[in-house]
Order: sequence, then structure tokens, then C-alpha cells
Amino acid sequence: MSAPATGPETLGSLSDGPEVTDPNSKQGKEIAGKSPMQIAFGRLRKDKIAIACAIVVFFFILVAIFADLIAKAFGVDLETVTACEVLECNFAEPGVGYPKTGPPFYPFDPEHPFGLAPRTGADNLAHWIYGCRTSLLIAGAATLFASVVGIVVGLVAGFAGGVVDKVLSFITDFFLTIPFLLAALTIAPIIIDRFGTSDSYETVQIASLIGILSMFGWMTVARLIRGEVLSLREREFIHAARVLGMPTRRILFRELLPNLTAPIVISISLMLPAFVAAEAGLAFLGIGVTGSASWGQTIANAVPYWSNYPLYLWEPLIGVVALVLALNLLGDAVRDAFDPKTRR
Amino acid sequence: MFAYVVKRLLSGVVVLFLISMSVFLLFWYGPSEPAQTICDRDTSNRCTPARLEVFRENLGFNNEWYEEYGTFVKGVVAGREIQFGSTTKFQCDAPCLGYSYRTKAPVFEEMKTRMPATFSVAIGGAFLYLAIGIPIGVAAARRRGTLTDKALVSSFLVISSIPYYLFALLTWLFLTITWEIPFFADTGYFPITDNPAKWFSGMLLAWLALGAFGCTQYTRYARGSMVEVLNEDYIRTAKSKGLTSNSVVYKHGLRAALVPVITIFGIEFGTLLAGTIFTETIFDIEGIGLWALEAVVQRDLPVVSATALFGAAVLIIANILVDVVYSILDPRVRLS
Repeated sequence: MSAPATGPETLGSLSDGPEVTDPNSKQGKEIAGKSPMQIAFGRLRKDKIAIACAIVVFFFILVAIFADLIAKAFGVDLETVTACEVLECNFAEPGVGYPKTGPPFYPFDPEHPFGLAPRTGADNLAHWIYGCRTSLLIAGAATLFASVVGIVVGLVAGFAGGVVDKVLSFITDFFLTIPFLLAALTIAPIIIDRFGTSDSYETVQIASLIGILSMFGWMTVARLIRGEVLSLREREFIHAARVLGMPTRRILFRELLPNLTAPIVISISLMLPAFVAAEAGLAFLGIGVTGSASWGQTIANAVPYWSNYPLYLWEPLIGVVALVLALNLLGDAVRDAFDPKTRR
Repeated sequence: MFAYVVKRLLSGVVVLFLISMSVFLLFWYGPSEPAQTICDRDTSNRCTPARLEVFRENLGFNNEWYEEYGTFVKGVVAGREIQFGSTTKFQCDAPCLGYSYRTKAPVFEEMKTRMPATFSVAIGGAFLYLAIGIPIGVAAARRRGTLTDKALVSSFLVISSIPYYLFALLTWLFLTITWEIPFFADTGYFPITDNPAKWFSGMLLAWLALGAFGCTQYTRYARGSMVEVLNEDYIRTAKSKGLTSNSVVYKHGLRAALVPVITIFGIEFGTLLAGTIFTETIFDIEGIGLWALEAVVQRDLPVVSATALFGAAVLIIANILVDVVYSILDPRVRLS
């Protein structure tokens, strides 16, 4: 997955020149301690691109959370209709298989603001809204699981050392050798197939996708955390905690973890867009979400209709691109904000 | 160094064993009925329980997974005989990766016919990565801080933030359908030995999409590493000796700047060789990636395990090569 490039001066160039309001000079006047989190937040707030991206991401999150309400407000739903009620089934008329109202052949139809899908007659807006929910649900949950696993593995491997470290590092390296796409490709259809007969097909499908994505997303976090822990554990405050007789669990979670905020936040912010893209990509290949709405699936459906009905493809495509782009740029801004070497 | 390479190769073999075992386990315990898909297809959806039982028996799903895995490993090393039903028998020479359930053809042979397509895509695309990415990156680093540099870096950052398959899909849709550029119309793989011109025009669009998207990353890498190198003392020395700016950048700077770029490139080239699934699907190129996708959908175990093994082997070798090349390029690095 996207490994954070660590070289200095890689991407610091998004800032618009040397800013007049240097946060550090301002701070000089007040004598107040600031945690790295606060400094980073202060920097992010000044970054116009980061703010713009955060607004876009926030919009998508709102759409995902209030999908039901928004769909109701527009009076659309995912229910499939009898195709001939809304589609042209009369072979004497032009445009067979395309919707009778709205794009591409008729003017805008307020009942279906995004138009109707050819062949199935499903409402595009409903699919778009619920596709956004599916996408963020899967990417968010996978990010959560992958970071938890990665953090735990990294902490344990780095702190325990010895055989435990060797075994955990081998497992991490093993997962890194597997080409992600090929593995996801192999596992996804089989797992989905296994539980395909149960009633809660959609839920199972989404759960297995979350599982697969997190299975191949945790390694970069684990490596990063392990490296940090290796250097942190030799520091004085950890020695002091040990001498004081603090239990290991407490050292790990109360002493070490707070010092790992920066790498964790950075890796989460880079993982999220990668998972959104991966989810849509698997659906596009026809091995991701099929039971419920998904942007990738709609894109794959829309390809054959491109020449007559490009809007059908643009809608989900712009959704994916806008979300991934905003998340990626936001992730880069977060990384820069946490990096003391970049001057903003 | 020799000992290091041997050690890495051995651990690579262990990884290959683990991966092929995982594939077998996945097929045995993954689906509720491993033979169902193949039975459905071969009998055109009239798969009765009796027929299913025949398929289970023939494909070996009635045996324990480790027995079949043992046969598979023996086949890879020494070759074996494969029997479908009671009549047909195949002699499969080492390295025997089995017979495809779907086409009943030897997997290794089919892999050999599929490899040139994937290799063509990967080599052409990777060439464009470097041929476009590095010169632009170096040029941007020399003009660091100017408007051109900023515009270039920001726009490339935006392009590389878009998912690759959407970029490739739009390239294909616009060039072949919307604008109907005749030279691009027929994408796909045509053997280079038959008709080099057709091979070139069939591949061109895939290369362009892959290269145009991938070069953005290499521009960033090359620019970052060049900026760093240009701040080094020896560059200042070279400049003060009175060397021309071009000679400083290309003779003194570029060699050091390329080392980290080559490292990233090695791994990524390995990933490309392991299967360019999206490129092959979108541009309809019959390579390893598309083969893997079809095999998975059809639950074709021998093909799936072959593509998984192939992908992992290529990645392992790429990793080792990168480490060795790195130690040659940068004398400070010692392999251990």
C-alpha cells in the first residue's frame, strides 16, 4: 500500500511560498508549551489546500452518514423497478434500453436528478449516495482494523525483541511479499462465495472485504511503529518507568503510545484513500461489492454506455476521484504538518 | 555477498511454500463446495449431486488438502501423471503446475504463452516511467522554487492521487471511443514475431496510460533526490571549479540522485511483471493478470496457484536484485 516517503523536501512544495505568518515566530511571544498534535493542527489550519480537502471529505462523510435521509429528501431509493416502466422498450422508438425521462436523450427530470441507469432502470442518485456509504464504511473500518493490528504488532515486536520480534517481523515481511491485488483477487470471491447463501449476503460481503483489505494493510504501520519503538525503548523515560516497576502493558499504552501519535496519524491518513481506491477497484473488476451499491460497480456497468450516456460513468467516477484526491492531499498535508523539517 | 544472496533465496523458497500452501488451504476450506463452480460450468448449470461427486473425485477435493499439495509439489520438482476421469491421462513434465480445470491444458505451457503480453506491458510502461519521469524531475529540481516547478509538482501530485485504473479507463474511453483515433483503435496483444507494427500499436495505449500515470511519481522521486544532491558540498566544489551547469547536474549530480530512484523502480517493476491486472483488463491484453482474474472467477485452482506463485517469485527476485544493485551503486551499503 502507499508507503509514506520519508525523504526530506519531497512534497513540501504545496505551500504557497514562504508565509508571512510563521507559526514559530508567533509562538515565540507567548510562553506556552505545545504538543506536537497542537503544532500540527495549527499548521493544518493555515494550509488552504488542507482546509479545502477537509471540507470535501467532510461532505462525503455527511452524505455517507445521512444517506437514508438524503435519499428520502430527493424521493429516490435503491428499489429496482420494472424496467419497461421507465426505460424505452418499444423497438420502434429510438434509444431502446435507455431511460424514457432525463438524460441522455430527454431534458432534466427532477424526480431523478442524476438520471436513471440504462438496462436496469435503477436510480443513479440513490446508487451514488449509497455507494458513498459503502465506500467510506469499508475504507473506514478497514483502516481502523489495519491500524489496530499494525500498532499492536509493531509495539509488541519492537518492545519484546528477541524471538518474538523475529517471528513477527517474518510474518510482516511475508505479507509484504504478497502482491496485494493478486491476493485480494484470489481471496475475495472465495470468501464471499462461502457465505453467499446466507440471508445477510450484503453484510457478509462487506465484512469480508473489510477483512481482506485490513489483512493486507497493516504491515506498513507495523514496520513504522516497530522502528519507532526500537529507538524509543532505549530512552530515559522508558527506563525510568521500568525501574519504577510499571507493568509492561502500562508502559506500552501509557508511555510509548502517546509518543507514536505522529506516525499513527500519518499512516491512517494515507491508508484511507488507498482503501477507498482499492474498494472501488475490486468492485470495478467485478470481485468486490456486488450485493449493494458501489461506485466501482457502477463504473464497470457504465463503460459500455459511454458513447451515448457519458453522464452515467462520470457520476460515480467523479465521486471516487474527488474522495480519493481530497483524502490523499489531506494526507500529504497532515504528513507535512507533522514533519518538523518542512518549513511552512 | 554470495552468502547473503543464498540466504535471501532460501527464505524466498520458504515464502513460496507458504503462499502455495495458503492457496490450497483457501480452495479446500474457503468455498462451501470447491467443485461446484467447475461442475456448474462443465455441465451448463445442470450439476446434479451425482455429477458433483464425480467432479469432486476427479479434481481431488475428496482427498485431504495436504495429500494433493504433496502431489502438486512433487509435480513441480519431478513431474507427474494427471488423470481426468477414468480414460484421459496426461503426462506432465517438471516443472508441472498442473492442468487447468477450465481449458484442460497444461498450466505451465499456457503461462509461457501469456508471459510475453505482460512483459511487453511492463517493460514498455516502466521504460516510459523513467524516460519521462527522470528528465522532468531533474529539470524541476534545477528550477526549484520557480512557478514552473511549483505548477509541475502540484499538478503531478494531483494526477498521482487519482486511482490508476480510472486514469487508464478514461484514457481508453477518450482515445478509442470518443475521439476514435484510428491508430489506437485495436488494443490488445499481438505477438511481436508475427507483426511488430501491430504489436506496437496494440500496446501503445497501455504503455501511454501506464507511463503517463507512473512517471508522475518518478518525477517526484527524482526531483526530491536531485534537490538533496544539489545541496551537497561536492556539487558546490564542482561548480566552483568552473564546470558548466549541465556537466555538474548530469555528470556529478545525476549518478548519486538516481540511486534511491532505482531502488523504488526495482520493486515497482517487479510488481508490474507480477501482473498488470487493471491495465490488462481495461486494454484487453491477454496477459498473466487477466488470466489470474479469469481463473479466480472460475475457481480454477491450478491456474490460481500458478499465478500466485509466479507473482510472489517475481517480487522476491526483484527485492533481492534491488538490494544487490543498491550495494553496487552505493559503496557505503554493506549486505549482511
